[in-house]
Amino acid sequence: MKISNDMTIQLLNKALDASVKRQGAISNNIANVNTQNYKANRVIFEEELKKAILPKNNAGLMTTKSKHMSLSQGIRDIKPRVVKDTHTTMGLDGNNVDIDVENANLAANQLLYNALVTQINNKYRVLQHVISEGKK
Amino acid sequence: MRIFKAFEISTSGLTAEKLRMDTISSNIANSGTTRTEDGGAYKRKIAIFKENLHKEVDSHSGIRRIVSKGVKVHSVIQDEETPMKVVYNPSHPDADNEGYVEMPNVNILNEMVDMIAATRAYEANVTALNASKAMFVKALEIGK
Repeated sequence: MKISNDMTIQLLNKALDASVKRQGAISNNIANVNTQNYKANRVIFEEELKKAILPKNNAGLMTTKSKHMSLSQGIRDIKPRVVKDTHTTMGLDGNNVDIDVENANLAANQLLYNALVTQINNKYRVLQHVISEGKK
Repeated sequence: MRIFKAFEISTSGLTAEKLRMDTISSNIANSGTTRTEDGGAYKRKIAIFKENLHKEVDSHSGIRRIVSKGVKVHSVIQDEETPMKVVYNPSHPDADNEGYVEMPNVNILNEMVDMIAATRAYEANVTALNASKAMFVKALEIGK
């Protein structure tokens, strides 16, 4: 096992990136709450992650060596995407930012970020435990 | 740096809402002004907001894309649609020959409602800013 290439840490890193991006998107929505015709930004990450880790999306192409080609995206290539939510309407000025939803998302995102940091710390603590041969 | 982008966005919101507050204050303060530089009575001012979009080139892939960088004030326009209030007051120095005075088209009730909206939006931006700050403080705990 390579410590630096560990799957858990890679995944957590990706999720942290997505969380920071989502924080930016939510901040942007809140900053534009009074902007005419503004449409809210949403970050798509979990769906992309699901696509990348579910084996059934591999289209039957198993990879047994690192040089084999696969149709699915690797974890390394997943990127959180920012999309405009154009399907909803709030109020008469063409703006669709719901401040309550944004605040709830903000709180949820913060908790998710904290959870991810805790998890990454736990992971490193396990490594630390192994390095110190279980003495600590 | 990217993690401070959320700060910049929230700050742009704070600045914009503050400017809106300034225009509202100006409207309320001038609700009885009958003389202006342009001649005639004071006209209600409205701050128009616009999403601040930036073109950016991705340093890795070289792909151009448009990113949101918060909000900016597009312009402050004068309200030409709302009709001016006309009051009969022959003793007023600015009264016309028939004794009518043109008063500003400022409705105090509207201004108060806009003021509440601006205050709440300002508070929401402060909340977002604090949340981002808490997140980045938490990030410093990685590896502790």
